[in-house]
Amino acid sequence: MQDKITKVLKAIADPTRREIFHAVVVTATALSISQISGQFQISRQGVTKHIKTLEGAGLIQITSQGRERYCHANPKPLEEVQKWLQFYDKFWDDSLDRLGSYLDAKKEA
Amino acid sequence: MKDSISKEVTFNHPIDTIWKAITQAEEISTWFIQADFKAEPGYQYTFVASEENNCTNITGEVKAANPYTLVYTWIVENTDVETTVTWQLETTENGTLLRLEHSGISNYSGDTALTMFTSYSNGWDKCMVALEEHAQKMVHAG
Repeated sequence: MQDKITKVLKAIADPTRREIFHAVVVTATALSISQISGQFQISRQGVTKHIKTLEGAGLIQITSQGRERYCHANPKPLEEVQKWLQFYDKFWDDSLDRLGSYLDAKKEA
Repeated sequence: MKDSISKEVTFNHPIDTIWKAITQAEEISTWFIQADFKAEPGYQYTFVASEENNCTNITGEVKAANPYTLVYTWIVENTDVETTVTWQLETTENGTLLRLEHSGISNYSGDTALTMFTSYSNGWDKCMVALEEHAQKMVHAG
C-alpha cells in the first residue's frame, strides 16, 4: 500500500505525465500509444516511457490488439493521494476556524 | 491534480487586528502553533509542535511581510520539501477578507510524501485537538 502511494505521487509529479494521463482520462474509449504520441511534442519513445511509469502506478492499463497497444485510464489510485491532500485542506479549515474563535474571544474580552 | 489549497474567509474584525493575529508570535502561539516568529523578510521561523503528542515542527523563511501580505516557506521538519504559505488581507464591505494559499503541495513526492502521510495521519490530529480545546477555553473565558 505504501509503495503504491509513492509510485502514484512520483507518476503525477511530472507535468508531461499529468498531461498524458489527462489525455487518456478525457477520452471515453482507449487511446493507442500512437494517438497519444501524436498529441505531444516529445518522441514516441519518451511518451512510451511516461506511459510505463503511469502503468507502474496503476493509473493506466495497457492492452494489446495486434501490433498496437491501447491505454485505458484508471483514476482509482488517485484517491489515496486525494486523501493525503485532504489533510492540508482540513488542516487549514480547522486553523482558520480557530483563528475566527480566537478573534471573537479577543473582541469580547 | 491541483497543486495548491486555497481558502477564503471573511472575518467581522478590523484588518489590523487580523494582521497582528497572523504576524505576531504571541498571538500565533495562542490560536495556531507555538511560534518563534518575526514578520521580517529573511527571518527563519519555527512553529514548535508539542513533544508529548509526537507532533512535527514546521520551519521556514519569511519571504514577504508587508501589510497586508504575508508569505513564508513551510518545511515539515525531517523532510526537504519546501511549500509556500501566502496570507492576504483585504478590507471589504462585509469585514476583512482573508485569502490563504498553500502552494507547492505536489512537491511532496515519493518517500517524503509517504513519511508525511503516515506521520500526519497519526500525529497532527492530536496537535489539532489540543489547540481546539485551547480555543474553546478562550471563547468560554471571554
